[in-house]
Amino acid sequence: MTTALFITAVILLVLRRVFFGYSVSGRKFKVLAPREVAFLTSTAEVMFPADGAIPVSGLEADLPGYADRFLGSIPLDVRWQIRALFMLFEHGTLLFPGPGWTGMRRFSSLTLDQRELVLQGWSQSPKFIRQISFTALRAVLTMGYLGHPAVMRHLRVAPYAIDSPVCEADLLYPAIGAHPDLIPHSERDLSPPSDGTPLDIDGPLHPDYTVSDGALGREIVS
Amino acid sequence: MSAATHDRPKSAERLRVFAQYDKDFEEEADAVVVGSGPCGAVVAHSLAAAGHSVVLLEEGPPFTPQDYEFEGSLSMARTLREGGLRRTNGTILPTMQAIALGGGSLVNSAICVRPPEFVFDEWSSRYDLEHTSRQSLDPHFDAVAKYLGIAPTPDNVQGRRNLLMKEGCDALGYSSEPIERNVRGCRGSGECFTGCRSRAKQSMDITYIPDAMRLGAKVLTSVQVQHVLSDGRRATGVSGQVVEPFTGAPGYRFTVKAKIVVLAAGCMATPILLQRSDNLANRSGQVGNNLQFHPGVAIAGIFPEVVNPQFGATQGYQSLHFLREGFKLESLWAPPAVAAVRMPGFGKALLERFNDLPYLANWDAIGSTHRSLGTVRPRRKGLEPNLRWNMHPEDVKILSRALWVIAEILFAAGARKIVPGVIGLPAEMHSLDEARVLQTHPIKARDLVSAGNHAFCTTRMHGDSSLGVVDEFGRCHDMDNLYITDTGIFPRCPSVNPMFTGMALAHRASEQMLAAL
Repeated sequence: MTTALFITAVILLVLRRVFFGYSVSGRKFKVLAPREVAFLTSTAEVMFPADGAIPVSGLEADLPGYADRFLGSIPLDVRWQIRALFMLFEHGTLLFPGPGWTGMRRFSSLTLDQRELVLQGWSQSPKFIRQISFTALRAVLTMGYLGHPAVMRHLRVAPYAIDSPVCEADLLYPAIGAHPDLIPHSERDLSPPSDGTPLDIDGPLHPDYTVSDGALGREIVS
Repeated sequence: MSAATHDRPKSAERLRVFAQYDKDFEEEADAVVVGSGPCGAVVAHSLAAAGHSVVLLEEGPPFTPQDYEFEGSLSMARTLREGGLRRTNGTILPTMQAIALGGGSLVNSAICVRPPEFVFDEWSSRYDLEHTSRQSLDPHFDAVAKYLGIAPTPDNVQGRRNLLMKEGCDALGYSSEPIERNVRGCRGSGECFTGCRSRAKQSMDITYIPDAMRLGAKVLTSVQVQHVLSDGRRATGVSGQVVEPFTGAPGYRFTVKAKIVVLAAGCMATPILLQRSDNLANRSGQVGNNLQFHPGVAIAGIFPEVVNPQFGATQGYQSLHFLREGFKLESLWAPPAVAAVRMPGFGKALLERFNDLPYLANWDAIGSTHRSLGTVRPRRKGLEPNLRWNMHPEDVKILSRALWVIAEILFAAGARKIVPGVIGLPAEMHSLDEARVLQTHPIKARDLVSAGNHAFCTTRMHGDSSLGVVDEFGRCHDMDNLYITDTGIFPRCPSVNPMFTGMALAHRASEQMLAAL
């Protein structure tokens, strides 16, 4: 009886730690759960701080929005691996706690300083498995951060505006998922192929990467 | 129906996309080709050009420039199997396989290099292949090169990132040259890996495949081949299911019956298909064995002046100077998020490193690591492979040596620091002296942040039917009319980028098929 009560209590504590106590934002995500949004937000703040060399912080770069798009575009049987990675760091504080008596709380509940020290522990660990896990997490977040239009513009690596020539293949293939009847081109639209004129390094950027709504461009969460 | 439908080429009727399937179906043809990557596309084109009925099957959808994603991980998630997250077990090595009409040619950097004679000499002497010499394959290389307009990357689209490599090699007396690519009219957008919006890259989806359709070939996309059908020594066709783009959700069933069956599904998919088809063509026991890669390592060099690395051919310069030592050097650009993945640290230190991106030139080496072998086996469910591969210590030495040479060239070209991305070594090195640790530190396989982008040998050719799966013309030893024409038939890694060799071998194999039809 005592054992059963103990096991039940442990299960309840685990469930509480993993699933409850996360605030639900007003924003809707296709894939991410509130706990993952909390984890990504708290990690973005440490990984790409606001007062760094790039004037766009991880928070401004909307990493939860990116992660939601990314997870939504990968197959289910690999999606769980990324979600498990997030969970590993969120609850890894049980094994590798931050400093202080509150250091074993969930990663997203730690203070900024505690989070920084926890990530340092992972990144500088002599244990290969911890290092590789940190590298994987950083890779996922870096993809989102450096893919953000404002960051790309700052680093001068945003895609250029390019008018794609219309070639014969464009008369054959519809947009993915569409019926061929919806192909927008006809033989009249065929245009000469690229003549190899180099792009102008200072030329216009792709419209998705130009400054539009506010100083940071698209996909900034207010 | 749009007005445009009345004004489309007749060949458009020979393509089927996901939205057009509304019931189970059967097809019959002289030849069915599984996989529309470079090797499958060449075969389909050659057979159609000779007047034969051909059905070309592709699991992925066709992509148009409007479907391309610029952001690296989202692009990979859409164009690569397993969302671009495939990796080996054993030595962990990320690897990839495209899932799109045109296969890898849609998202590779279009490099076309003929392996030097010594590669084929080794192939023929070690694997009993008397007809596979550079000389015997040159006519096939020539035919592909002529069709695709393969030519050296012009200077005006090299950009600083590529030309710096030439300067570094020149300073040290190492040979280097502009990379030959299947590109016409490159504008230097550096977008080869996410899809060429200039339509300059001559990927299969805009070259061989539309041409094959014009010649009568049927192209069915979003169809997953699940079994090779056979009767004794004869393959009779293939069967499978329609799958939804990106989700892979299965739908209608199909069968294609044919006089000749050609598997060009890639060296990680073809062995699975054979293993799932009652272990077909595997009396040798070699199906799915001998997996080899060209593992790649890279170093980022940070230069004092702005490099603008996003401008210029994705991979415009190379050095074959060290090919006999076991590695090839290349300049490299990738979507920024991918290019920067090797950068260490986090927080302000990481942002400082990202801030160096405009000054960055990334160069890589691919290793001929033929001692490092692995296997491809089916998972409990589905057609994705379970990959196991281990890097041999001698091959780690090759890659360590390659890292040192890249460091040498970067500093000779004027880099003010390098970011080697090797676990256990300093994150940045500011002089060649500091970089000497690359020579002295005992680097282990798991210290290398590496990727295996070229894969081979899982259905290798061998003159002895007990030691290989196919003969040197791609015909399975155990079958009369089943051919394999992807890079799985390479007996050993080719030391240079494999697409061109695969296409030349496929071109030769199609002559054999024509004789059989």
